[in-house]
Amino acid sequence: MLIGMQKNQTAVDASNVVKRYGDLAAVDGISFKVGYGEAFGLLGPNGAGKSTLMRMIYCRSPLTSGTLRVVGLDVSDEARTIRGRVGIVPQENNLDPDITVRENLLVYARYYRIPRQEAEERAERLIGFVELEEKRDARIDALSGGMKRRLMIARALINDPTILVLDEPTTGLDPHVRLAIWDKLRVLRQQGLTIILSTHYMDEAEKLCDRLMIIDHGHILVSGQPRQLIDEYALKTVLEVRGVAERELHAGGPGVIAERHGASHHYYATTVDQLAPLIREFEACETYLRPSNLEDVFMRLTDRERLT
Amino acid sequence: MLALSRANIGDAARVWRRNFDVYIRLWRTEIIAPIIDPIFSVIGFGLGIGSLVAGNVTGMPFLTFIGAGVLAFASVLRAVFECSYGSYFRMVYQSTFDAILCTPVEAESLTLGEITWGMTKALFDGVVVLVVLAVFGAVLSPWGLLAPLVLTIGAFWFSALAVLITSRIHDINHYNIFLAFVFSYFWISGTFFPLDTLPKYVQWLAWSIPMTSAVDAARELMAGRIGLRLLPGLLYLIASSLVLTELAMRSMRRRMVN
Repeated sequence: MLIGMQKNQTAVDASNVVKRYGDLAAVDGISFKVGYGEAFGLLGPNGAGKSTLMRMIYCRSPLTSGTLRVVGLDVSDEARTIRGRVGIVPQENNLDPDITVRENLLVYARYYRIPRQEAEERAERLIGFVELEEKRDARIDALSGGMKRRLMIARALINDPTILVLDEPTTGLDPHVRLAIWDKLRVLRQQGLTIILSTHYMDEAEKLCDRLMIIDHGHILVSGQPRQLIDEYALKTVLEVRGVAERELHAGGPGVIAERHGASHHYYATTVDQLAPLIREFEACETYLRPSNLEDVFMRLTDRERLT
Repeated sequence: MLALSRANIGDAARVWRRNFDVYIRLWRTEIIAPIIDPIFSVIGFGLGIGSLVAGNVTGMPFLTFIGAGVLAFASVLRAVFECSYGSYFRMVYQSTFDAILCTPVEAESLTLGEITWGMTKALFDGVVVLVVLAVFGAVLSPWGLLAPLVLTIGAFWFSALAVLITSRIHDINHYNIFLAFVFSYFWISGTFFPLDTLPKYVQWLAWSIPMTSAVDAARELMAGRIGLRLLPGLLYLIASSLVLTELAMRSMRRRMVN
């Protein structure tokens, strides 16, 4: 999996990357690095620039300015080689409906010029990996949503890539299927594959990613390890008070961050003790006391775009 | 830099092969249309209208004259449909292009694969129609075996044009306008009656469209009249097809890689 990896070289190295469509800057000066073997998450509201950034990584969207190197190569002039080393799972399934599960893998292998014998071995191995043995000769329209997604992942692995790029891999899938896909991605990560994924699911990002980046309006809001971001922006624990649209936001007290999200109040604190007065204050209301999570970070940073 | 020079023949062949594989799966349904259609065209035109035509047309039996037209119409139209509706389906509804462009295959090679596939379908259908015509006795010379090949060059021109249009439209209904031009063209292309019966300016218009040379050449071959006279027209056809291919490749890149 790590063929071609060199020391002192990052899997993805973006430096002041810009993508403009007319007056709109979809990606507006983003710099980041992803190391080999890392699982990197890309979060942000719809239209934040996640998909554009991913398309730039797999050379489907030329840069307006800046430099972007993938597996050490410049996307502007080594697109063909880069795509040979990257596996791509786009947001929309684009399996070939005219042919079977196995043929989808074999036809795809041809585009990478994998010899027939080798392609057949890989196809069998990958069909086993994503547990589609019984659907080997089925047409695509006979597959469930989860099966299609698994086949998309298998297809993205046919060229034995160094980097796997997944754009919202589990959107629209039921919880069982999501768990199954996470398991597969964890196995791949353990095997040393570099994974870059975008998602709207904070639990997904928290469980799968070593490091993540939240972007909005084409800018990076924050980046870091999930736990570190939670500690920094959402502390340890949260008191959520629901259905209090008409009530004043409580000041919270020392060390407590108070925020309004729609009809709810959120009070973030480092210890539960700090929240005790608030729990009494809102005794009559619907309240939840829970540990802070990545969703809190996301809501705090993207909801009102405030970095207090 | 020419887009043509970015196209990789090996990659284009792999795109072509994907379409071929799908076609082979469906060959039983695919082969019926090119058999049925010319049988009835020949009955209608050849026997029906033919009975009203006294003597030869442009020095050959009317059945041969109209047979060449039927052959040209059927095979080239196949390429037109393949590279318009067929390509559009693969591009928009099935996202096949999207999937292919995630691999090392570049937009230019993809475009070339689609165009050559359109030509291939024209060739397949041309051969089937030629067999039907031979059964009716419309093929007078062994040179007629080359007629489908010449029309495949005509299909090159139309395939490149159709892929160019496909890369630019965002609504499948817009093909209606393109097809209106295609069908109108066939009425003035010398396909169904001799060009010299038409007003001079219509003749000029017809000859300015390179496909007319392909229809003409196919007909002369079926009648066994080959000569260097056909060469300039065919060179014009090939040159203009290459220009259209270059434009289609550029346009496809703009559409798919943005």
